[in-house]
Amino acid sequence: MSPALPLAALACAAAFIASLCTGAAPIPPATVLAALFAPDPDSLDHYLVLHQRLPRALIALHAGALLAASGAVLQALARNPLAAPSTLGLTGGAALAVVACSMALALPPLGLGLAAFAGGLGGIAASAGLARIAGAGRDPRGLSLILAGALVSMLCMALANALLLADPARRSEMLGWLAGTVNHAHADRLAALWLPGLAALGVLTALSRPLTLIALGPDKAASAGVPVAAVTRAALGAAALAAAAATAVTGPLAFLGLAVPHLLRPFTGAALTRLIPAAALAGAALCLLADIAARTAFAPYELQAGILLDLAGGLGFLFLVRRLCRPAAGARG
Amino acid sequence: MKAARALDSRPVLRSRMGDIRLGNLAAAAALLAVIALLAAATLAGADRHALVDIRLPRLLLALLAGWSTAMAGAMLQSLARNPLADPGLLGLSQGALLALLILRIALPALPPGLMPLAALAGGLGTAAALAALTRGTSGGLPVLLMGIALETVLSSVTMILILYTPPELSHGISAWLSGSFALAGWEQLRALLPWLALSLPAAWALGPGLRGLELGDDLARATGIATARLRPAILVTAVLLTAAPVVAVGPLMFLGVMAPHIAAAISPATGRARLLLSGLAGAALAAGADLLTQRSGTAFALPAGLALTLTGVPLFVITLRLRALRQGRSA
Repeated sequence: MSPALPLAALACAAAFIASLCTGAAPIPPATVLAALFAPDPDSLDHYLVLHQRLPRALIALHAGALLAASGAVLQALARNPLAAPSTLGLTGGAALAVVACSMALALPPLGLGLAAFAGGLGGIAASAGLARIAGAGRDPRGLSLILAGALVSMLCMALANALLLADPARRSEMLGWLAGTVNHAHADRLAALWLPGLAALGVLTALSRPLTLIALGPDKAASAGVPVAAVTRAALGAAALAAAAATAVTGPLAFLGLAVPHLLRPFTGAALTRLIPAAALAGAALCLLADIAARTAFAPYELQAGILLDLAGGLGFLFLVRRLCRPAAGARG
Repeated sequence: MKAARALDSRPVLRSRMGDIRLGNLAAAAALLAVIALLAAATLAGADRHALVDIRLPRLLLALLAGWSTAMAGAMLQSLARNPLADPGLLGLSQGALLALLILRIALPALPPGLMPLAALAGGLGTAAALAALTRGTSGGLPVLLMGIALETVLSSVTMILILYTPPELSHGISAWLSGSFALAGWEQLRALLPWLALSLPAAWALGPGLRGLELGDDLARATGIATARLRPAILVTAVLLTAAPVVAVGPLMFLGVMAPHIAAAISPATGRARLLLSGLAGAALAAGADLLTQRSGTAFALPAGLALTLTGVPLFVITLRLRALRQGRSA
C-alpha cells in the first residue's frame, strides 16, 4: 500500500481548513472548527465561515477533484501525457455552451450543467474529428489530437468572448467566470451539480481496473476479457461529465487536469485504481491552495484562481513538451 | 540534373498551371479596380463621402488584413509541416497583442504611429522565445506544442490585464480582440501598407524554399536549400505579416489555418503560387466576414472574428472533407 493516498487526504483536509481560516480577516482554526460543528448564530466569525468561506471551499474541492480525476482518465484513454480536459477542447466547449445558454435562455443551474456536458462532448468530438481529418495517421504519438484540441478550445474561448461583447451588462458579470474562478456567488450551481459530479467520479473509480488494462493497450485489455469499446465509451462519458460539472461551476480551469496526474504518478504508479482517488484528493488540495493564493497574493484585490492556474498550466505544459520532445530528438540523431 | 528533373515532375512541385491562372486573375482584378475607381471619381457629395471615406478604406483594410494573416499562416504551415499551424496557435499574435495592450494601458498618450513597432517587438520576442525553447529538437511538432504553451502563458497575462482595466477601456480592448473593421480609415490603411509591400517580395524570395521545406528537412537540404538560414527568415517574415494586421483590426482567429486549405482546394499549387493564392483566399474571407458584419443589422453587433468563424469553419470542414475523399479515391 503506497502512502500517497493517506498523504493526499491529509493535504486535502489541511488545505480545506486553511482555506476556511484565511481571508480578509484571519480566523483561528479553533473558531473554524467550532463554526463547523457547533455553529453559534450570533457570532460574526461563524457567519463568515459558514456562508462565505465554506461554499467557496466546497466549490474548490468539487472542481479540483473532478478535473484531476478526469485528466487522469483522459491521459490513460488517449495514451498521451498531454491529454487533459483543457487540452482536448472539453472545458472550452463546455464554457462556450454555458455562455451561449445563459445568454439565450434562462436555464436553471442543472440545465446549465447539462449544457456544459453537451458542449464538452461536442468540443472533444470536434477535436477528435479535426485531428483525424488533418492526418493523425502520420504521427504515432497522437500529438495532432492535442493540436486540434488546442485549436478547438481557442476557437471556443474566442467565440465565447465575442458573444459576450453583444451584451455589455452580462459581460462584466461573466468575464470573471470565463477566466475560471472560485466564487461563492455560484453556490447554487454547486448545489445542483455536486451529485452528478460525484456520480461521474464513482463511475470512473468503478471502471479504474479495466481502464488500467486499456491504458496498457487495447489488444492486451481485450485478451484479458475487458469489453474495450463499452468501457472506453463509458469512461469517456464519465470523464466529460466530471469536467463539465466542474466547469459549469467555476468556468474553465486549466492546470489541474493536466498536471495533477503527472505530479502523482511517481508516488502511485500508473495503476488507475490508485491514481484516480489520489488525483482527486490532490487536485482538490491544489485547487484550494490556488484559491487561497488568489485571495491573498494582491491583498486588497482578488485575483481569479483560474488565471493563476492558467499561468501555472502554461508553464507546466512548456515543461512537459520539453521533456517529451527531448528523447525523440536524441533518438533521431 | 537528372535527379532535379525527376523531382520536378512530381505533382507537388508543379505550379505552372496555378501561376498562369493567378496572373490572369490578378490582371482582371486590377482592371476592375481601376474601372471602379474611375467611376468613383465622378461621384460627389454624400455618396462620395460614404464610398471614398468610409466604405473603401474599410473594404481595403479587410482585404489587406486577411491577405497578410493568411500568408503568414501558409508560411507557418510549411515551416511546421503541419496543416494546423496558425499565427494564433503559435502565440505570435498573442505576443503582439500583449505588447500592444501593455502600451495602451501604461502609456495611453503615446502616438499611434508607434503601435506597429510595439506589436512587432512583441511578436518577435515570442518568436525568439519559441526558437530558444525548441533548440535541439527537430521537426515541426515540438515547435507547435511549445507555441501552444507560450500562447497559454501569454493569454493568461492578457486576461489579467483585461480584468483589471476599467470596464470602458476593457470593453474597447475586447472588441478589438475579437477583430473589428469598424474603426477603419485611410490612416490605418497607410500604416498597414509598408508591411503589405514587404509581403510580395518576401513571398517571391521564400516561396521556392517553402516548397522544399514541405518535403522535410533532409530532402530540402539535399536539393540545396540552406534550411538553417531559411527557417529563421520564414519565422521573422511570418511575425511581420502577423503583427501588422493585429494593430489594425485585432487578431483574426483561425483565418491563418483556413485560407491555405481553401487555396489548396482551388489549386494544388505549391511555393509562390500557394502563398499568393492563400493570401487571396484570406482577403476574400475577411472581406466576406466584414460584409456579414455590416449586413447583420444593429440588434446584435457581430464582431468580425465571429463572422469569420461562421463563414470560414463550414468552408474549412467542406474543403478538408473533399480532400480526404479525393485522397481516398486516389489511394
